[in-house]
Amino acid sequence: MMAKMVSLTIDGKPVEVPEGTLVVNAAKKVGVDIPVFCYHPKMEPVGMCRMCLVEIGRPVIDRASGQPLREEDGSLKIQFGPKLETACTTPVSEGMVVLGATEKVKAGREDILEFLLTSHPLDCPICDKGGECPLQNLTMGFGPGESRYLYDDKKHLAKHVPLGELIYLDRERCIQCGRCVRFQELIADDPVIAFSQRGRSLEIVSYSEPGFDSYWSGNTTDICPVGALTTADFRFRARPWELKAAASICNHCPVGCNLTLNVRREAVSGGKWVLKRVMPRQNEAVNEIWICDKGRLGYHFGAQNAERLEKPLVRKNGELQPATWQEALELVTERFQSVGRGLITLASGRLSNEDLFNLGKLTRSLGGKSILYSSMAGGDLTTQIGFAPGTNFADMGKESAILVVGSDLEEEAPLWWLRVRQAAKRGATLIVLNARQTKLDRDAHYSLRFPFGTAAAAVLALVNTLSPKRPELPESIQELARSSELKAAAKAFAEAKDAAILFGGDGMGLAETQALAQACANLLLITDHFGRPNNGLLGVWPRANDQGAWELGWQPSMNLPADLAQAQALYIVAADPVSDDPAYLNAFDGQKFVVVQDLYLSQTARLADVVFPAQAWTEREGSYTSGERRVQRYYPALQPNAALPPRVESPGSRRAQVLTGLRAELDGPQADFAIPAFLAEKLGYEGFVHASASLVFARLAAEAPSFGGLSYQKLAEVHEQWPIVGRSDLYYGGTTYENTQGLGVQLPLAQGGASLLSWPQVADFKLPKLGGIAFPITRLYDRGATLMHSQLLHKRIGEPYIILSKQEASRLKISQGGFVRITFTDAERSVVVQAKVDEGLPERVVLAPRSFGLPISGPTPVELKPAG
Amino acid sequence: MLAEKYAQEIQTILAKYPPDQRRSAVMPLLYIAQRDKMYVNREDMAEIAEILGITPTEVASIVGFYSLYYEEQKGKYHIQVCTDLPCALRGAERFMQELCSRLNIRPGETTADGLITVEPVMCLAACDKAPMFQVQSGAGLSYHENQTVESALALIEQLRSDATRKRGRDSHV
Repeated sequence: MMAKMVSLTIDGKPVEVPEGTLVVNAAKKVGVDIPVFCYHPKMEPVGMCRMCLVEIGRPVIDRASGQPLREEDGSLKIQFGPKLETACTTPVSEGMVVLGATEKVKAGREDILEFLLTSHPLDCPICDKGGECPLQNLTMGFGPGESRYLYDDKKHLAKHVPLGELIYLDRERCIQCGRCVRFQELIADDPVIAFSQRGRSLEIVSYSEPGFDSYWSGNTTDICPVGALTTADFRFRARPWELKAAASICNHCPVGCNLTLNVRREAVSGGKWVLKRVMPRQNEAVNEIWICDKGRLGYHFGAQNAERLEKPLVRKNGELQPATWQEALELVTERFQSVGRGLITLASGRLSNEDLFNLGKLTRSLGGKSILYSSMAGGDLTTQIGFAPGTNFADMGKESAILVVGSDLEEEAPLWWLRVRQAAKRGATLIVLNARQTKLDRDAHYSLRFPFGTAAAAVLALVNTLSPKRPELPESIQELARSSELKAAAKAFAEAKDAAILFGGDGMGLAETQALAQACANLLLITDHFGRPNNGLLGVWPRANDQGAWELGWQPSMNLPADLAQAQALYIVAADPVSDDPAYLNAFDGQKFVVVQDLYLSQTARLADVVFPAQAWTEREGSYTSGERRVQRYYPALQPNAALPPRVESPGSRRAQVLTGLRAELDGPQADFAIPAFLAEKLGYEGFVHASASLVFARLAAEAPSFGGLSYQKLAEVHEQWPIVGRSDLYYGGTTYENTQGLGVQLPLAQGGASLLSWPQVADFKLPKLGGIAFPITRLYDRGATLMHSQLLHKRIGEPYIILSKQEASRLKISQGGFVRITFTDAERSVVVQAKVDEGLPERVVLAPRSFGLPISGPTPVELKPAG
Repeated sequence: MLAEKYAQEIQTILAKYPPDQRRSAVMPLLYIAQRDKMYVNREDMAEIAEILGITPTEVASIVGFYSLYYEEQKGKYHIQVCTDLPCALRGAERFMQELCSRLNIRPGETTADGLITVEPVMCLAACDKAPMFQVQSGAGLSYHENQTVESALALIEQLRSDATRKRGRDSHV
């Protein structure tokens, strides 16, 4: 339904906008800038700062006839209000005349700025916001030039107030616009900062433990219109105008948030280019203008530090020793050739499409087997009934239903949590179906619980109420299956015009997620919710490019330890199985030839015969396919090899020299797509490219059907987005970057459709009478390889822990924070960890976070004892 | 712990609000906390937040907004003198200064025995009967109008002896 259009004029320009549009936004659409501080286009207006004051006139309507009155010359008679009005709280009306540049308006703005600056410290020269500060810019543009207030009477307040260890408050600089407080309440749903006191004493406080306890805190520094809020990461580290910007994509989770990496070449780092901060880049179909703190503050693994691998390593006399690329490549070529079919390539979704394409192709050429290192299955279904092109959470509302099943969404894919929540606020029916309570339950219309271990059966229970096929349901799910709430939820899902399912791996391993994905697919198929925009199945994958891996034919192995044990040679890329689960140690018996390709000398790499140093995603080009099946490009921000002279001031001849140097002898880390291509070259295989990611992508587009027709040029296309953000609009949307380098392209769905309907076997799952079962859960901040290098998040990550039920805790006589010895009976391994108690957990259930060094790849029997 | 000490009272308060609007009970619960110690400490804020299902920060924000909730421990009795213009015209400011100097404190401070805090406040709606003040304590509020320094001091003596008697009685329990 199209909204009614309203015509008005703003500074003489005629404008036509939908009814309900605010004057400030209508002006922005025709290029008239009305300055604001407290207004933000992603939040409801509050009209607190008074910066947006304008003159507004409205046609005079004759009360008797209902007709507008006219002047003698025939033009409409316009009545202006006696006072200036706030453009941010006033919706447009027919015939409205807005004047934003009159003397009266100028005087109003001058007064507001004069007031705002009465106690502002004006310490721009040492302020991190200086150079990208709305207050600075608007003061230059609209300020009075000088103040009538006495400088010595300025009120001085604390300048270094940590709201937590991540965000600092400068109380003097705060102009009390409330953007941060409103963001945390309305968008992040973490009201952990608030105003305290009143008037000039007003301040932002946080009483949470730890301080400012939110995964979204960094966004407040983007939308803060002054330098009051800064991140501990960027504070005093660089001036905004010294920074160069490189477009990038976050690789922590499958959302694929668009980023801008800010880099600077600096003397303190020996003249190297250094990654100074990570900022959001607008993509209204992916992350809008937000990113989570993991993306913003957890980038250090992709920066250049002393622990990064610099040279290939080859095992000689039992020790890994530096070697030349030539030597390492020749050795690997020879050994891979001799094992042929005995090769297993194990790679993770941390890699780009190009990397996975070349690795897969090399492995196939050798006759080996490619295995995706992932804790979740079901990608064969998402390639066929996943999100269709044109799908955008922003378009889901009243006519949509969203089912989130088996996922703690904010922990697994924060931005999807944010966007699903907003869809629910717009009226989408949100069904949350989990074994335990999660943050998303707060916004759910139907909050359903299944007993631990029965996720797939719970979805089949939904199917059962709708389908005559009636799959058999296990005993433990019957109570849920009979509940009226489940029936109502199923009905709402089936009747919605559009419906999407997000499935995750909360409490599940590979086998369980495969059954769950199939059950979800069945629900979509029988309700005809697939194959068109805003419908389909979304996997909440553990890694950024898992969907891309599936699209390129990679699949996880249902019995990885056995597969690894049988292999004669292993090529492990961007994966560290030994750290994740010590059970994999058995595969490294010294009998097989092991090649590891990674950024760091991981636990797995320490066991290798050859280690290839890889380039980080910050140092090279590539593309990821997000869970929503959007292929997005990222660009290099840093020099790939610290050892090479930096490529600056660009005399062409110098660059050529570097390239020739590369060709003569490889040096330093190489891109993950290039290394398999070097091997292929030595093996004499045709059709491999190593020169650039774009050339690999061109091959990929030619050979992988779902990528057909795509090119780097297509991925780089942009169109105008709302709200308008960018460098001249800092006061409006914040310091988020405008997207000028690509919005990405969603892949078409692979053929399949209704033929996918098959009924997974769902065995009954009962908790044991003794001992317990540990279920893996995902925490946003974990001890995984990509986060442990973060210089800031350590305190938030914490030490390994498990979560126990109240009964278990009292049986073990331990309280919150006590230590417990947990024995994984299958793995014959026991560790001492901290115990947290969750009163909502059923007895015998233990939650064990992934990537905390616990051997937990699926539900696992455990025994617990008090430690110490 | 407020929840144990005032279990009954808290239940009575919560019963007045629909379950999905529990947060509205924040003011009466804060009254209890303040009455208990004459200030609201961090632990009480966290406890009230937990009872109501809101964050401690939100509770702290409310405590901060209202000037009659105290975040720091002060006197057992708060002598709150209105010093707004009409009262000042009737000598309220001079009254407060003199009272303070007789008690050997400055406005906003607490006497050495920890019992009496004197502080200026905004309008108490008794302009015609200034100098006037209200006494805020665990027992509630009481108005004292048309005061002189002597009458105020007499009242303070009374409060002090009440406090001593009460303390003596408590120690026998």
